This record gives sequence, structure tokens and C-alpha cells, in this order.
Amino acid sequence: MIPIDPNASPSALLELIYRLKVKDIMTDTLTTARKDTTLRQIQTLMRENKVSGVPIVDDRRLVGMISVDDIIRALDQGYIDSTAELHMSRQLVVLEDDMPVSFGISSFEKYKFGRFPVINKARELVGIVTSRDITSGLLMEMNRSLEEMERVLNLQSVPEPAGQVKRVFVVQQFDYENAGRASTELKKILNSRGIDRALQRRAAVASYELEMNLVNHSLGGRLIFHIDDDSARIEAVDQGPGIPDIAKAMTEGFSTANDWIRSLGFGAGMGLPNTKRVSDDFDLQSTVGKGTRVKAVIHLKPAEAS
Amino acid sequence: MTFDQVLEAVSGEPVHRSSRWATQDVRYVVTCDLMSDVLVTDHDQILLVTSLPSDQVARTADMVGACGVVLVNGKPPQPSLIELCGRLDLTLIRSPLGSFEASWRLGERLLVRS
Repeated sequence: MIPIDPNASPSALLELIYRLKVKDIMTDTLTTARKDTTLRQIQTLMRENKVSGVPIVDDRRLVGMISVDDIIRALDQGYIDSTAELHMSRQLVVLEDDMPVSFGISSFEKYKFGRFPVINKARELVGIVTSRDITSGLLMEMNRSLEEMERVLNLQSVPEPAGQVKRVFVVQQFDYENAGRASTELKKILNSRGIDRALQRRAAVASYELEMNLVNHSLGGRLIFHIDDDSARIEAVDQGPGIPDIAKAMTEGFSTANDWIRSLGFGAGMGLPNTKRVSDDFDLQSTVGKGTRVKAVIHLKPAEAS
Repeated sequence: MTFDQVLEAVSGEPVHRSSRWATQDVRYVVTCDLMSDVLVTDHDQILLVTSLPSDQVARTADMVGACGVVLVNGKPPQPSLIELCGRLDLTLIRSPLGSFEASWRLGERLLVRS
């Protein structure tokens, strides 16, 4: 099972929106204008900076806002050359930089604005928040938490008995950016132990095939390495969906991969058969709806090497 | 065959030179766009010729112990691929030739040598 407590994980996510502050997710490179800026100039600013709302500031103090709707109205009614001061919204809802993100989310729900200016304690404009900033901020933070969790997991696996190494890696479904990292680590460990190149390669290939299977086909899981002087044992444990026909999955050329996976150079239906081919021991157990556990062992003693 | 000879053969430009650039002897070439197929090759120290510009090319090359990658069809490698080749100490060459011509020219030189 994946080492996030499945019972606690929804609340762990909820915790994020309380722990993160508006200043953690806001955009702080601002496109602003002054009261005497013309709406035509603001229109140019919007186009050049790809923004749909421009805060109007007096020094660093926020005094109003011009949105793309204001510009459209000005063009329609023929006052595009008049100044921001005459047409800006003055009744502004702002967020404070120290507020939790949860507050920002409820403001978007409540007011239906596309963006909120962010001010600091001194009432100075310090940033702007769109709903997109909130989404990407939360995703970044979740990613960071996950990396932290992986780091802690790996720390927990030390101290180890002399000559033995255990490593656990969390592998996410469709995470092509990190796919292969765990296997690269395995190869490094084997290399540092002076293992024969051909054996290194067999272990790395088995691990990489299983890692890509987790990324391409599972709902997410873990890749676990146990290495000692005699062998490298690689286990891939996932949380589903399970393999309906194991005999078919072990047939060369049989694949359930979609075009997207194929465009990345995988999905030839060789993963499991190839893992078995390079392993000295191979075992696969799978239950539909529950998950799959694959074990591949490569003997590291020269006498046992094929 | 040295990497300098590979470079000349495929009219390529070096994107990343590994620390073994000057000493590596390239003896086997595998041309493939399907990384699954690369993983079933058993030769050591292969040169991988491919038109796939993704990170998984470098990962796969590292797993099979390849010595370098030639990216054909003049495809620009993704920045993350270049970075990964640096981290994995893997040579990356970009060639304007197509798969067939690059492979043919490399094969010709390997045959002359043997």
C-alpha cells in the first residue's frame, strides 16, 4: 500500500489550503497603471503582458482596478482615450497576503471576480491572485509534499545491516517527468557496489520495465529494492486496477497501452515478458480491483549469473 | 569508431559530450523509436539512434548501458533531455539526417573497420 494513510489523505489535502498563505501562491510580478494612464494605454498593457485586469496604484497604494470589461465598454462607448481615474472600479475586494489560501478560494466562490489584488499589512499592493494561481499553487505544494515524503521514506530505510540496502520509491500514474528515476538510483547503487556491468544492466532493465508499467498502467504504487551481496530483489506493488488475464499479459506483443503511451516509446507489449527474461526469479500476482505485485530477482554472485 | 567519427558520419552537432567522448569505442548501433524494443537488446555500450526527443530516451539509454544517443531528423532535444544527459554522463548528438541514412552511414563505417 502507498505510504500516505488513505484515511488521512483527504484531510491532508484540506490542510494544505489552510497551511498555504495567499502570498505563497500569488503572482508578484505586477502590471499596474496610474490614475492618469489612459484606457488605451491600459489596453496595450493588457495585450503585451497577457493580463485581463490592471490594478491602478498611487505610489504603492491600491486605488482601483480596470478590467478587460471596462476596456470593451470604453471602446464601445467611445471614451478609450480618457483616464483610468474616471472609469476604474473603486469598490474593491482585496485579499491580504497573510490570509490562508482557503480564504482566497471562498472569495472566488462568493464574488465571481476573475482576480483579486493582494495587499500587505501596510495596505500596499504586493500581488494579484487568479483562480489559476490557486490551482497551480496547490498542485506545486502537493508535489513538494510528495517529494518530502519520499525523502523521509528513504531516510527511514537507514540504518541498514552491513551490506544490505533497502529503498522505497513512490511512483505516480502518468508521471512521465519522474518516470525512471527510481531505476536510475538502483543502477547507481549497483554500480557503487562494483557489480558486473551485464548484471547491472539486467537489474536496471527489470526495474525500469516495472517502473514504466506502474507509470503507464497502474493507479500508482511503489517500487521497492532489496539489495544484498547475493541478489537484487525488485518489487513493484500497485493499488490497481489489476490484470484480468495474466497469461495474456505475459505474452510478447500483447499490450493494453493507448496511443499516448506509444508516442512516448512504450507499449510494445514487451514489459513483463522482458522483465521475466532478464530475471533469475520472477513472480507475478494480481487481483482485479485490488492490485498487482511483481517480484523480480537478479542473482549478483558471478557463479549464478547467466 | 570514435565519437568524432560518429559526428562526421551523421553530419551531426554535439549537444552534450560525455566524459568518455575521447576514449569511447562505438561498436554497436541500435536504431529504434520504440524504447520497449531498446530494452530487449543485449549488446553493451550501444549507440542509440532515434527520432524520439523525450527524457525517456536518456533513461532507457542509461538502463541498457548505452554510450550515447543520436537524435535524427534534426529534431531539437527537449531541454530536460539535455539536462538529463548531463546528469547521466551520456553523449547526445543531433543529426539532420533521417533514421535510415544516419544508420546506413554509421553501418558503412563500422563495416569498413571490421
